[in-house]
Amino acid sequence: MSPVFSHGRLRLYLLKLLEESPRHGYEVIRLLEDRFMGLYAPSPGTIYPRLQRLEAEGLVTQSQEGGRKVYRITDAGRQELAGRREELEELEADISGSVHGLAREIRDEVRGSVRDLKQELKQAAREMRREQRHENRSRRDDHDRHHRDWWDEGEGFDRHLRELLDRTSRALRRAQLSEAQLRECAAILDEAFERIRQTLKSPDDPHPDPQERR
Amino acid sequence: MTTWTLEQPDKLGFDEVQRVLVKLVEGAVSVVGSDDQPTLELSELSGEPLRVRHQGGALTVDYERPWRPWPLAWLTGGSQRRKAVLTLAVPRDCRVELRVVSASLMVGGLQGMVEAHTVSGEITLAGLRGPVEVESVSGPLQASGVTGDLSARTVSGDLTVAEGGGGSVRARTVSGAVAVDLLAHGDRDIRLSSVSGDLTVRLPEASDLQVKLQSTSGQVASAFGQLEHDRTPGRDTAFGRLGAGTGRLRATSTSGHVALLRRTPEATV
Repeated sequence: MSPVFSHGRLRLYLLKLLEESPRHGYEVIRLLEDRFMGLYAPSPGTIYPRLQRLEAEGLVTQSQEGGRKVYRITDAGRQELAGRREELEELEADISGSVHGLAREIRDEVRGSVRDLKQELKQAAREMRREQRHENRSRRDDHDRHHRDWWDEGEGFDRHLRELLDRTSRALRRAQLSEAQLRECAAILDEAFERIRQTLKSPDDPHPDPQERR
Repeated sequence: MTTWTLEQPDKLGFDEVQRVLVKLVEGAVSVVGSDDQPTLELSELSGEPLRVRHQGGALTVDYERPWRPWPLAWLTGGSQRRKAVLTLAVPRDCRVELRVVSASLMVGGLQGMVEAHTVSGEITLAGLRGPVEVESVSGPLQASGVTGDLSARTVSGDLTVAEGGGGSVRARTVSGAVAVDLLAHGDRDIRLSSVSGDLTVRLPEASDLQVKLQSTSGQVASAFGQLEHDRTPGRDTAFGRLGAGTGRLRATSTSGHVALLRRTPEATV
C-alpha cells in the first residue's frame, strides 16, 4: 500500500483529528466526510489500514472500549504533528480556500485508494489462480500416475526411451552404412513406432481422456 | 446569453446552472457538486483563450476556434498547445458532459447524469448517484462510491471500480484490466468484457446473482464453491447461482483471465 492524500497528507490529517480527542474509527470516517463537504466518504477499508500503520509507527495507541476500537494520539504523535504544523495549515487552506483545492484533494484520495484496491484484487486473483492451477495439476498427476503404475515410478520409461535413442543413433553414426542398410534401419524404426501406436489404441489400455490431460 | 473570454486565471459566478458542457484539449477539469452558488475557477491557462457561455441553465466552456490536430500545424505557426486547468462547482442535480483530448477529468458529489469522454486523460469519479457514462482510449478510469448505473469503455485504459454501490455496471475494454469491488447486493446487472485484459470482480459473501464467467484462452477462477466449472480446450467457464439469483453477473474475455473473489467481512467499525 502506498501513501495517499498527496505526500502523506491524510496521515497528517488523521493525526490532527486524534489530537483533538480520542476517537473510534467510524467517527474518523464521518469527520473526513464532513471535511470533503459530503462529496466523498473514505471507506473503512482505506482508513483502518492507515490507522493501523500509525499504530505500528507508535504515533497512536489503540484500546477496546465497549466493543469498539478507540484510537489515541501518543507523545510521539504529538511531536510529529508539531513538526509539520505548517504543512497542516497549508492543507487546511487548500481544502477550504477553494473548490479547486478540494477537488484536487478528492482526486488524489480516490486515485490512491483505487490504486491500493487494484493491487489488492490483482494479488488475490493471482493467488487464487495459482492455487487452482496447483489443484488441477495434482489431480492430473494422480491420474497419470495411475496409468504408469506398471512402470517403476513412471520415470523409468522415459529414461529407457532416451537411452535407447542415444544408443541407436550412436551405433548408426559409428557404422559405415550402405544406402540399403540405412533404408532397412529406417523401416525397422517405422515398424516399431507403428506397433507402439497399435498398443496404445488397443482397448485394454485406453489412452487417457484428452480433457483431463490439458 | 452571456459570454466571457478568459485569457488568464480567473473566477466566475453564475446564478443558475442545470447543465454543463466542457470541451477542452489538455489540462484538467474537475466538477464537484456544491450547495453554494455555482462557480468556475480557472487556475491555469496557456495557448488559446477560453470561451465561457451561459444561457438559461446551460453553461458551456470551450474554445472559439475548434481544435484540429493536423500534422503540419507547426508550419502554420503558433503553438498547438491548449492547456487549461478548470474547476466547476455546480448544484448536485446538474447534468455534466465533458469532452477532452488529454486532460484529466474528475467528477464528484453529483446526482445528475454524467458523461465523460477522453482520449488519453485519466477519469476519476467519486460519489455519483446518477447514471454515468465514460469513455476513454488509453486513459485509466477510477471510480469510488458510484451508486448509479455505470457504463464504461476503454481501449487500453484500466477500469477500476471501488465501493460499487447498487447500480448496474457495464465495462468493456480491449486490453485494459478491469477490477470491480462491489459492496451492496441485490437486483442488478453487471457485465464485463475484454479481449486481452484480465477481469476481476469481488463480491460480498451474501450475493444474489446469476453468474457466468467465461474465457477462451485465459483461466477462470472463482472463490465461490457453488459455481460449476467447465473446462475444455478453447473454453473455460464457471456458472451458477449465488443466493436468490435476482441479479446478473457476466464476465467474458477472449484471452484475459477472469477471477471472482469473495469479500471477507469488513473489520468491525
